[in-house]
Amino acid sequence: MNHVAQSRRDVLRGLAWISPWAIGFLVFLAAPILLSLWYSLTDYTLIERPVWLGLANYRELFADSTFITAVRNTLLFSTLYAAASTVLSLALALLLEQRLRGSALVRAIVFLPTTVPIVSACVTWMWLFNPDFGLINSALHVTGIDGPNWLGDRDWALPSLALMSLWVVGGPLLVCSAALRDVPGTLYEAASLDGVSTIGRFHHITLPMISPALFFNTVMAVIWSVQLFAPPLIMTPRGMEDATTTCSLFIYTNAFFYGRMGYACAAAWLQIAATIALVCTVLALGRKFIYYRAG
Amino acid sequence: MPTVYPPTPPITRRVALAALTTAAASIALWPRKPRSLASTPRGRVIIDYWEKWTGEEAAAIQRVVDLFNASQSRTWVRRTPVSDIKTKAMVAIAGGDPPDVVGLFSFNIPLLAESGAAMALDELATPDTPPSATPYKPAVQRLLSYNGRVWAGVSSCYTLALYYNRSLFRNAGLNPDNPPRTISEFDAASEQLTLQTPTGDIERAGFLHNVPLWWPYFWPTVFGGSLYDHKNAQATIASQKGIDAYAWIQGYPNRLGREATARFATTYARAFHQADDPFFTGRAAMVVQGPWIASFIARQKPDLDYAATPVPVADLLYQADAPLGLVEADVLIIPRGCRHPQEAYDFVRFTQRQDMLELLASLHGKSSPLLNVSPSFTAQHTNRYVSVHDAITASPRADILPQTRVWQQYSDLTISAFQAIWDGADVKSTLQTTEYRAQSLIDHAVALRARRALLKGSGA
Repeated sequence: MNHVAQSRRDVLRGLAWISPWAIGFLVFLAAPILLSLWYSLTDYTLIERPVWLGLANYRELFADSTFITAVRNTLLFSTLYAAASTVLSLALALLLEQRLRGSALVRAIVFLPTTVPIVSACVTWMWLFNPDFGLINSALHVTGIDGPNWLGDRDWALPSLALMSLWVVGGPLLVCSAALRDVPGTLYEAASLDGVSTIGRFHHITLPMISPALFFNTVMAVIWSVQLFAPPLIMTPRGMEDATTTCSLFIYTNAFFYGRMGYACAAAWLQIAATIALVCTVLALGRKFIYYRAG
Repeated sequence: MPTVYPPTPPITRRVALAALTTAAASIALWPRKPRSLASTPRGRVIIDYWEKWTGEEAAAIQRVVDLFNASQSRTWVRRTPVSDIKTKAMVAIAGGDPPDVVGLFSFNIPLLAESGAAMALDELATPDTPPSATPYKPAVQRLLSYNGRVWAGVSSCYTLALYYNRSLFRNAGLNPDNPPRTISEFDAASEQLTLQTPTGDIERAGFLHNVPLWWPYFWPTVFGGSLYDHKNAQATIASQKGIDAYAWIQGYPNRLGREATARFATTYARAFHQADDPFFTGRAAMVVQGPWIASFIARQKPDLDYAATPVPVADLLYQADAPLGLVEADVLIIPRGCRHPQEAYDFVRFTQRQDMLELLASLHGKSSPLLNVSPSFTAQHTNRYVSVHDAITASPRADILPQTRVWQQYSDLTISAFQAIWDGADVKSTLQTTEYRAQSLIDHAVALRARRALLKGSGA
């Protein structure tokens, strides 16, 4: 009996200790998530009581050309960013693992931009992208190339944002570096004895051995990129909204600028569903291509 | 087996003393009241007033607040500068804790009025205390009213005018004392003032409609068109006058080059009112701007030789004594659910006094929203071309923005339409698509409003 009372006390004590987090989770996360599901089925303007609409918001979204554009832009950005980020982080990690002089300093420099606040980074990149005075076009001009109007051209605006987002490649780079250091040297030695070329070793040893890390980076890049919000909000000049509107920006604009909170909640739920579907697809593909070491 | 916890280390005297000292110091240093209330006289009712302005514009409205606070001993207005003010005001209203007075834009009134989030001023007025003792200019009166009721006081009003560089006019062989009045004259002047390099890059723009792209919906006005039929709740941007206006706009990139004009506009997209503003640096000879630009010129480029005139209009529409223009206003709204509505109303009434409106207008470089202005107003004004803006505001042909709750969406649609037209899209079909989409939004809002009224009527 004493034993049971003691265990119950332990449980209660445990619950008491986690209660600040649990209450915070319920009040600030779980409840708003459930409320947003309810609001997505209503006409809700924040300052009026919600009025039940059923699935009308969802039907309207599928016919809304701005939303469709936002989805298309988000997918395009996500594809560009996930691919470029994965390849670039791997390339830089391979380079930095060559034990060249100053590689530790370069690694620190590559990681440094992740500590810069996003707004500061955006303003800096707006200057870099300036078509007349920007550093990028000035450098291109020296090489005889007439640089594009990066943010002011419909065809270049979204790729420019993807290019700018690579600025924070430091995180995936560290993951790749750690994975590369974990590849057993004996495998390379055995391959060398068998006369396998450098490219062959990369293809048959390095890539399979670090594939879980690459997969992790890809999944994180997809999840991060489908939530893209601040760069298009800050960097897109007026009139270019169609070229760079993303799902998150669409949701924000409808909720707070247009006062259509119910409609925005419906878009948010579609975004969540699409993100889950996208990640599930990546996971399914991952099962086929990822090599997990036993033990 | 019950869990065995290691013995808790004893609290030493030193640790206990340090903890007690820290606690005592914290209690001693803890402020007795918020810092914002430190300078508030005791016993007064505190009115929370949110306003969007910062810098010199904020200092100007603070002078009005200070004069109100000094004028009586019952109420104290505490002004808080708030960015993205409409969003925050809506969240505060939804959360049941709005400020007593909030400074918004006149186009916010329909949404707040329809949703019952704002108090109509006639709810708070008595026959002895009307919102304003002096009448407003008709366009301003229309901006403050919705569905037959007055919902706000005005803090300032503004119109757009053509600001031009007199030196560049002279250098190009144009008479700076005889600025363009019609579209034909304007196009000719713009062409003379534009300089392009042999490769087509724009060295100096005579005029470009997207420098800056702040009012893409303005242009039908100068062709006598309108964006909205208030009587029938119809979007009208694709009327013949609207088509004429945007076809005229499209002529500019067609002549000067789409790539070159887009490049020029992007280069200066974030430079306006700064030291590298293309108008201040002489890279744009003419710009359409509000009256506030005079204050920025005084600060950034005081030696700039410039003048202002009403925006040129379609040739057959020119009337010297009745310029065409669009009037917008900054307004003071009392949110429903605020703590002190009557005191808030007293403050709004104070701001509507002629001397207060003229003080604020003068410090902001704007025209007066009142029908009559005092003789000293124009003479002592900080913007020497305020009479141009005043004439547009007072003009019988002055128009106002569409009074619909979906105006912000409609406005954003006009940005996309403007850009598409600038990029070479067919004017008529682009405007028809815009009008169709805007009308869908208007109809949707009307239908939802009817549904809400029905539910309210049935008590649901």
